[in-house]
Formats: sequence, structure tokens, C-alpha cells
Amino acid sequence: MKNYVIKRIGHSAIILLGISFITFLLLYILPADPVRQIAGRSATPETIANIRRELGLDQPLFAQYWHYISQLAQGDLGRSYLQKTEVTLLIQSRLTPTLILMISAIFLELLFGLTAGIFASVKRGKNADKSIMIASFIGVSSPQFIVAILVLYIFAVKLHWFPIGGYGTFHNLVLPAMTLGILGSGWYSRVMRSSMLDVLRNDYIRTARAKGVSEGRVIFIHAFRNAILPIVAMIGIDIGVFMGGVVVVESVFGWPGIGQLAWQAIQRVDIPIIMGVTLVSAIAIVIGNLIADLITPFVDPRIRIRQ
Amino acid sequence: MNSHPFLSVSDVTKTFQENSGKNKIKAVDGVSFNLDQGETLGIVGETGSGKSTLGRLILNLLEPTSGTVTFNSKNLSSLSTKEMRTSRREMQMIFQDPFSSLDPRMTVGDLIREPLDIHKIKSKQDRHELVQSTAKSVGLPTNSLDRYPHEFSGGQRQRIAIARAIITNPKLIVADEPVSALDVSIQSQILNLLLELQRKLELTYIFISHDLSVVQHIADKIMVLYLGKVVEFGTNLEIFNNPHHPYTKALISAVPKINPHDRTDRIVLLGDIPSTTSKPPGCHFNPRCHLAMDMCRVVEPALLAIKSDPGHQVSCHLFVDESFTQ
Amino acid sequence: MTTLKRLIKRKVVIFSVAIIGIIVSSAIFAPLIAPFAPETQFREGLTLEGSPLGPNSKFILGTDLLGRDLLSRLIYGARTSLLIGLLANGVAVLIGTFFGIIAGFLQGRIGSAIMRFTDLMMAFPALLLAITLSAIFSPSLFIVALVIAMVNWVQIARVVYTQTLSISEKEFIEASRSLGATNTRILRCHILPHLAPFILVWSTLGISTTVLLEATLSYLGIGVRPPTPSWGNIIFENQTYFQTAPWLVFLPGLAIVMFALSFNFLGDALRDELDPTQRGREN
Repeated sequence: MKNYVIKRIGHSAIILLGISFITFLLLYILPADPVRQIAGRSATPETIANIRRELGLDQPLFAQYWHYISQLAQGDLGRSYLQKTEVTLLIQSRLTPTLILMISAIFLELLFGLTAGIFASVKRGKNADKSIMIASFIGVSSPQFIVAILVLYIFAVKLHWFPIGGYGTFHNLVLPAMTLGILGSGWYSRVMRSSMLDVLRNDYIRTARAKGVSEGRVIFIHAFRNAILPIVAMIGIDIGVFMGGVVVVESVFGWPGIGQLAWQAIQRVDIPIIMGVTLVSAIAIVIGNLIADLITPFVDPRIRIRQ
Repeated sequence: MNSHPFLSVSDVTKTFQENSGKNKIKAVDGVSFNLDQGETLGIVGETGSGKSTLGRLILNLLEPTSGTVTFNSKNLSSLSTKEMRTSRREMQMIFQDPFSSLDPRMTVGDLIREPLDIHKIKSKQDRHELVQSTAKSVGLPTNSLDRYPHEFSGGQRQRIAIARAIITNPKLIVADEPVSALDVSIQSQILNLLLELQRKLELTYIFISHDLSVVQHIADKIMVLYLGKVVEFGTNLEIFNNPHHPYTKALISAVPKINPHDRTDRIVLLGDIPSTTSKPPGCHFNPRCHLAMDMCRVVEPALLAIKSDPGHQVSCHLFVDESFTQ
Repeated sequence: MTTLKRLIKRKVVIFSVAIIGIIVSSAIFAPLIAPFAPETQFREGLTLEGSPLGPNSKFILGTDLLGRDLLSRLIYGARTSLLIGLLANGVAVLIGTFFGIIAGFLQGRIGSAIMRFTDLMMAFPALLLAITLSAIFSPSLFIVALVIAMVNWVQIARVVYTQTLSISEKEFIEASRSLGATNTRILRCHILPHLAPFILVWSTLGISTTVLLEATLSYLGIGVRPPTPSWGNIIFENQTYFQTAPWLVFLPGLAIVMFALSFNFLGDALRDELDPTQRGREN
């Protein structure tokens, strides 16, 4: 078991290295020239050359990459071209809002999704089931920005219940978290429903009912405990996907997280920040998958024994 | 015995590697035999005996780790891919599971015709006629060709598999437990079909089974395998009337006999078949053998012919005095 | 085919096919259906202050911030979305299937290498990758489609890989080999026919993912660039007016959701029919 964990971690490290290289490569072949962005319109060729040399951008690709990696090993993500601050500091300051959003969002996704899924599985085939499933489909088929704008329009603009974006209070958190919660719950409800249906079909459920166990216990204790297994793995993946896709919601609600940071950086071709955010997101995805892989044996005793 | 036997298997060994080299499994260990044309060899063994692997080695579906398989005077391992492919017209296989060995998305007609398509036998029009006549010869109803395998019973599916095997007019057929997955009443039908086809088409069979009663019905020669090694080899008559090896005796005692006078006490073997990854030292059978001596736990017995009948070979320390080296 | 009959009986399938039919017809017959050219700016399309008009007799759904007819832009937008959807998805399916089959059939070192590569690609934050690529390369319909394909092919490759692997292990493949079939023949006659239903399902579901990604990119301003209309960039352009003229945002939004929804319904129904064990599962 320990060997497996070590192998997985090693595997993940290699993946992160690969990602760093590919991202670096992509940014290297950018037709847009970051130096011009920094220098401004009226810069002389001399200034441009100087800036280029200062930033080390006149070096060949591998030299630049090597420099980046060695800095990285010391925990240094470089400096933003435009903001003259260390990327690490920038990301750190933005990480907390994103994490707050992520935890709230996943909590809501699970709350809505699991409840809906269980309910749908119990009322299988009836109208309640069908409506829940259609709602889930709509959730899955809607792009984030549309739901975000809709939610903003209804609850902030029309009803004035919540502020239009911003950060700082609980009120600011509600709308963006709700948006993500509603969207994400679509995935969870469908998986939960099919998982519950599979579990409820089993003989041990029939035995429990025959023994006289109350239906509530059957569903929430016996069935739920077993049906939740695939969900655990999904949460791991969700964490990863979240980090990659949070740009939109943060933009619409003006939420100062790393998604917004990344978006601004991309528009200004601020390469160190783009690299930094990509790496941090990739780390999140890799960690998410790792957690999903490693937790599943703990939660599912069948897999544990096989190990 | 022929100087150039039809099929000659010489000291064939197959070692599998699991876990990237950490576990070595010797599925087949030094098996040799010769077979003449028109004969039927029954290979008998239980799980882990290596009989299925041996069947695949004979047809070169697996490459032997060492040893050679010579068919029709050609060493199969030395053939190029193209030559091997052409040779396959002459050597066919019938698989155990009639449910999984037929592609469920192809019609019966397509399935039976596939060997002709592969080897480009006859023109496309003539193939259809041959498919029809072959289907008829294995007892399939006339309208089967447009239907799908799942619409047929197990016995009929095996007939489809047999049709596929004989349509290229092969000389050798390896049947890997062809009736084990069928109901008992159907088994005899299929066995009789196989015998009938053997007569009509002058086929040579290698019949693999764990069921001695089936093998008794159909084989000329019988080879008993245990954990990859040959423990006994002889004619059908010799094996059943004069079995030597304790394992063979135990297998025979388990065969249900109709005539109450033939019934003897069952020899019950101790313990389970050991896993192929950890074979017992010495004679692999020793932990389960009620006649095991000290030597059996240390030294592997050689396969030696018994004095009274050179065609009958046993691999057991109990009979060393009786035998002379092959 | 009884599958077709069973499919047609489902209400969601009828709904989906209807919506897809409307969208495809809009796309194909756009020049005939649309009342105006999508890029024409009408002076009478704006109020005196320069804001868009609401629905009226001339412009059935109103106008956008530059005085262009919204309905026409929506209809032509169908064309854009469909084109990108088909192109991006087609390329993704092609690349994904190619690598998936090779990895699953040949296995060995090539197979592992390909799968390691997909592991790597999957760890990339997809949206960030798409945004970065879009920002790098010059904006054109073709490039947007290609970028989306680059992000989406990985999942298809993995699914095809798993399927090919499981099919390759089946006994009837060994049976064909024992008959003397070449690898090409086995791929063509045995493996591809078994993969076909999966590829169909994933193609259908893939169009929905593709459209959503394109809408998001266009909304961020880095997908399809105006004046070419795309439902996403209509929202992008008009979002400042969303309090006074919310339909400028919600009508294209509704179109996007309907499009993705119908392909999702259809793909899910196909998946149910072709593989009942997969009902309701994702990934």
C-alpha cells in the first residue's frame, strides 16, 4: 500500500513537471511580445532590448526553462512583468478567496446534488424523478456565465437581496457560491441517482427490508453509505476542475480570486503569472485526483482487501 | 511409428512473466509427444495443468519459451508471419465458450465465411455456396446464415464454431474443452458430430478436457497433465485399464460408471491444487499423493516408458524399477 | 433497427431532435430566413441616445448595441455554433479515437506512452488552456474550433482506450487471430464495429461540451470575434445593457442552453440504448 502511494506521488510529480514544460513552451511561442507590452508604445529599440535582457527573454528556450525550474525548486514563481510583485505573493493573496468559494460551492453542490439524487432514486419513474433529472440536465447544459448573469440579474438587480458582486461579507459569497452550487449539483444528482438505484437493487437491501428495518434507515444508512462511493472520487476531480474553470464566475461577480488574476494576466500577456496560476491549478487537479485515488480504498473495504 | 510424424511436439516449455518479471509462471514444462494423421489425442488436466496453454502453443498462438512444435515437417516458430498465416488454413481451433468466441455483431453466415475471406479462398460468389454446404454438414438449420449468434443455443453455437473451423479444410483441429460449457445431453451430440467429421474429412484432433469420461469416448491416445508436466501418457485402452500414476487413478475413480460392478472406491485427493506460482518441490503432486515417499518431495521424476508397453509413459518414482529410459 | 424505434418513442428524443432540427435549419437556411443581414447596422436601430431598441414591428426581437437586428444575428449565430461544434467535435473525435485505438490495441510501450500523455493533458486546467491558446493564436473560426478540439480529444481517447482494451481481450478476437486474421482485419471488422456505438454517443455528447466551451470563450471575448455573430459574443458585446435590455443576454443564452441540452438528451438516450449498464453515469 505504501508503495502504491509513493508511486502515485512520483507519478504526479512527473506530470506537474510535464505541465510546467508544456505551458512554458506554449508561452514561449506566443506571437504577442510581452516586452512590448511592458515597454509601452514609445519605447526605443534600445529600451526594448534592455528590458528583454533584464527579464532573461533573450536566452534560448531551455536556458529560460532551466532557470524557471531552479527558481521553482526554491519556491520562487518569478516576478510579474507588469506588477513588479512576486508571483508567489500575488497568488497567495488571491488563493484565499478562491478557496472560500470552492469550499462553499462544493458544499452546496453536494447538498443539492445528493439530496436531489437520493430523492429521484426513491421516486424512480415518477414525475418527481423526471423533473429532477431534467433540471440536472439543464444544469449540466448551461454555461457558467449564463447562470451567473441570470442569478445576478434576478437576485441582485431585480430583487436587491444581494450586492452585485464584490468581496468581503457573507452576502457577497452567496450568489457566486449558489451559481456554482446549482450548476455542479447537476452532475452529482445524476451520479447519486444511478448509484442509489444500483445499490437499492442489491439483495442486502431486500434482506434489510425483510428484517423490518424502517425505510428511512434502509435508504439513508444502508443504501447511502454504499452509494456514496463514486461520489467521493468525483469530489476529488471536482476540486481540480474547479480550479481550472473558476475564471468565469470570478469575472462576473468581481470575486478577487486566482481565476480573475489569471484572466487579467492573460489579457496583458503577463507570462510569469500565467505560468504560476497554471501550475497552481494543475497542482490542485493532481492533488484532487490523488485524493480521489487514495481515499477510495479507505471508503470501499472491498478494494482495501484486494490491496 | 512414423519417422516424420504428422505433429511433433518436442520439449515445449512456456514461462509467463507477471508483475514485470517478478513472478515467473511455468505454465507448460517440457512436454513432448508425437501424433499421427487421423489420430485423436486427449489432453486431460485440471485448473493450472497448462492444457489450454499447450493447445495454444501447438497452434503457435503463443510462442514457446523453449522447445519446438513441428507440424507437417515445418517448425512453426521458424516460419515468417506470412507463412504462418498461410499455415493456419491447415490448423484450426475450437474454443470452449460458444458465447464469447463468436463476435456477437456478425451474422452466422459472416462468421462461417470469415476464414474464406481471410485466406481469399474461392471467388466471392462461390464462398456463399461453400458456407451453406458447411453449415449443413454441421447440422445447422438452413435459415441460420442471416441470424446472429445470440439467437442460438449453446450447442448450435458450437456447431457454428465447428463450421468455422472446418471450412478451410484443415488437417489438424485443436478443440479446447469444446463441450464443457454445454448441457450433458447436448455434449454427446457435439461429440458425435466431431467423430463423424473426423471420419469424413480425415481430421486429426487434439481434444483438451478436464472430463475423463468425455475423453474416453473420443481419444485414441491420452496425455495427463499436472501443473504443466506430463504425468502419464498412453493409449486410451492402456490408460483406462492399466493406469499407473496415482493422479490418473484418482481421476479415473471419479468418472461416474453406470455398471455397478465397475464401481470402485473413489480415491479422494488431499488438499487443493497448488497455485502455479508456487509449485511444490520435487514431484509437483507429492502434497496430495497418499503414496508419496521421501524422494518424491525432493527429486522430480522423469517421464519414462514402462517395460510392458513402450507407448505407455509415466512420471512417478513408484515405477522406476519397471521402466527403462525412452 | 429496433433501437431507432425505441429511441423515437422517448419524449426527450423527440424534443431534442426538434430543437436540433430548428437549429440546423436556421444554420443552413440562414440567408433565407433571417430578415436582415447580421452585420448591417441600422441608424434607426438605435434610440436617440444610442441604446438598443426593444422588440418592435421592424426588428422582431429588437436590436443590439450597434443597431443590428438581434433575430438575424441569432439565426446566423446558429450557423457559427453549429459549424464550430461539428468541426471541433469532429477533430476531437478523430484524434481521440485514433490515439485511443492505437493505445488499446497495440498496448505495450506505445500504449503506455500514449496513456501517460493523456494523463498529462488531463491534468491541465482545461479552460485556462483554452483561454491561453485562444489568446495566443489569431482569432478565426477555424482556430477556435481547433483550440476546443485540442482540449476535448483527451477524454475521448481515454474512453476509446478502455473500450478497445476490453474488446481486444475478448475471446472472439483470439478466435479470429487463430483463423489467421491480420491486425488490420481485426481492427476493421471486429474492433471498429464494436466501437462505433461509443463513438456515436461521445460525438453527440461532445457537441454539447464544444458549444458550451465556445460560448464561454466568445463571452470572454477571445472566441469568435465580432462582427461575426456567435451566441456567446452577442452576450459579450451587450452585457453592459443587461439591466435595461436583458433579452439581449437571455435570448442568446436560452439558445445556447437549448442547443447543449438537446445534444445532451440525445447523447444520453443513445447511451442508454446502446449500453444499458451506463445509465446516468458520467466520466
